[in-house]
Amino acid sequence: MISNTDLKVPLITLVGPPNSGKTTLFNILSGKNYKTVNYPGSTVEYYTSRILAKYNINAELLDSPGIVSLIAESPDEKISIDSLYAHPTLGIPDLLICTVDSCQLTRHLLLPKQLISSGFNVLIVLTMIDSLAKRGYKISEQKLSSELSCDVVAINGRSKVGLANVISQINSNIEKTKVTDKKKVTPYNSSEQRKDLVDTFDEIEELVKSVYEPIKTKEKIDLNSANKELKVLQDAVSGNGFSPDEITLKIDRILLHRFWGIMIFLVVMGITFTSIFWLAQPLMDLVDGLFSNLNSLVADNLNPGWLTNLISDGLISGTGSVLVFVPQIIILFIILGLLEDSGYLARGAMLIDKPLSKIGLNGRSFVPMLSGFACAIPAMIAARTIPNRKERLFTIFIIPLMSCSARLPVYALLIAYLIPAETAWMGGIVLGGIYLFSMLSSIVVALVINKFTKRLFSSNETSSFILELPAYRIPKLSSVLNHTYNSSKQYLLKAGPIILMFSLVLWFLTYFPNINPEVDKKGLSSEQVQNVERAERLENSFASDLGKFIQPIMTPIGMDWRVGVSLISAFAAREVFVSSMALTFKVTAEGDEAESTLLSSLRNAKIEATGEKLFTTATTIGLIVFFIFALQCLSTVAVSRKETGGWKIPILQVVTFTSLAYIMTFITVNGLRFLGIQ
Amino acid sequence: MKTAAELNYGEKAIISEIDSTHPSSRRIIEHGFTPGQTIELINKPIFNDPIAVSIRGTIIAIRKSEAGCIKLK
Repeated sequence: MISNTDLKVPLITLVGPPNSGKTTLFNILSGKNYKTVNYPGSTVEYYTSRILAKYNINAELLDSPGIVSLIAESPDEKISIDSLYAHPTLGIPDLLICTVDSCQLTRHLLLPKQLISSGFNVLIVLTMIDSLAKRGYKISEQKLSSELSCDVVAINGRSKVGLANVISQINSNIEKTKVTDKKKVTPYNSSEQRKDLVDTFDEIEELVKSVYEPIKTKEKIDLNSANKELKVLQDAVSGNGFSPDEITLKIDRILLHRFWGIMIFLVVMGITFTSIFWLAQPLMDLVDGLFSNLNSLVADNLNPGWLTNLISDGLISGTGSVLVFVPQIIILFIILGLLEDSGYLARGAMLIDKPLSKIGLNGRSFVPMLSGFACAIPAMIAARTIPNRKERLFTIFIIPLMSCSARLPVYALLIAYLIPAETAWMGGIVLGGIYLFSMLSSIVVALVINKFTKRLFSSNETSSFILELPAYRIPKLSSVLNHTYNSSKQYLLKAGPIILMFSLVLWFLTYFPNINPEVDKKGLSSEQVQNVERAERLENSFASDLGKFIQPIMTPIGMDWRVGVSLISAFAAREVFVSSMALTFKVTAEGDEAESTLLSSLRNAKIEATGEKLFTTATTIGLIVFFIFALQCLSTVAVSRKETGGWKIPILQVVTFTSLAYIMTFITVNGLRFLGIQ
Repeated sequence: MKTAAELNYGEKAIISEIDSTHPSSRRIIEHGFTPGQTIELINKPIFNDPIAVSIRGTIIAIRKSEAGCIKLK
């Protein structure tokens, strides 16, 4: 990428407090084609874009994360603020556009005041003027501008009224910076911060007094409303701001109700959860089917050999395992975007904060954790909404313990093995029990890990929950879709290559060195021959060497190397365990029949050394326990690396959860045997 | 002295000072909780914590442990 300074294109950075309409303005100015950049060496993300050609401004636009003030509280906030003073690749912004909610002038002017005293060129854009107009007021841009000695312009983000003024103000500000030398920018002086802050607020209250003006309309001449008007104006003028939005207060009386509030919350989250689970399923099946068809198309039409297999089982299946998560990511982000945009998500976080704070988490950890029951990948991406770094990393850390949907086929197979067909209804109860057990054990694990968070995540941030509950509004679908599109694109670009690479390594391990196994083809159809060949190849592969190598570890938990191979293959994705078991136990049937023959071949499987039965009640329950705890998903590891900005946490996760799984399985199998259950 | 954590449903009060020894005190001031401002307890959902208060026309959810450093007149 050519850096900004080389091109001499002015850099405009958008700043503003959360809920000030910053992102709406960014979307208006940039259109859809923005890209994300990371601040070097961190997970703090920015969006950059050229301003749309139709506005005729030749400048790079950078959207920074929302901040309340220039005094950093957390490491991530410090990065956001430092980058304003000197972004390592983009430099010092030529112009800062600061969005300010017109109804919250006394709160939101803190940031621009600090920016101006730092020496930046600031343009203030007043947003939500429609809400202010509903209350019968407008802001005198001229007065505010002369009070703050910077340009002020107002825009209605929904109807885009005022956009032309914003554009011309940006242009004239950019022209100004071309003539004058770049101002000297000095980091905001944060000594005596608390007293300073109070003084700044006092100054703001003083200057705001003169800028609110009533809008005179014919309906408002009767005495009653004139009196009311005067009172509101007095309130605004005295620095108290307006009273909170009436409709919002009414809705909150229900949504934050002591009883109904939590009920509605549980229903909303239940719907969210089931939609990522059930709504995404047909789409995931479609992606899955598409790639397995493509796989067999290649396998059938190209000359058999390792290259064909690399393309079909390696590349195509690998790409499939990247793309199969896209439907869940899209659906989760659309729902979360709608909830967030409407203002409900902040309330949900508030409702659930208390119980989660008991185990060292935050109200905002809830949605990512719940999403983890569908799939850890979108869940980890959703954890970005947690501002406290320690709590975000902790949330990401325990997400793999949530029982994701990929474990279902494994549980289904093992439950079917445990429970005779006549009492199939028992299966549902057992499955429910598995979920309950996994939830309870995640709470216990979280409690234990909570003792080590300071060292684990090297952070001393104190836990805090101060969150603005924005006024309710109808969510804007276009901006939600825009954000969803970009999140999915990021997943594909950043986590995709790692997942693909790991899939290829796994393919190599399971395919080589015995690439052309000799099998007895007599009396077998070509399909059966293929299956026997695959089983034979796997049996002599590096993966099976690895499986035999770990045999001493498998014996104490009552398994043998064949289960070991399947567990290793399951790292590609948990559901691979079932097909890999089918392969290693030499199942040569197809479709529905495969399951029943797999079950019967499992029943007949014996441990080679001793001749004992391999899959007993004890070992089968042990396997289920193993899957509850083990982090067996390369995609999760890849996304965890991306979201935490390093290998430390993903490696810790794999080591912790896999050894925990091993220990728990050991206890289960031997405990059951001790109790006389074989 | 009473703090914001002890407000009852719908009760209004004026802030006298922010306890500067609390680790969150700066963040609390940044959200607009300054001496002389009126705050009102808007909501106390299930678990009674965090609470929702209005300040300068905005509703803010805040943990009781943090609201405890907002001292009232």
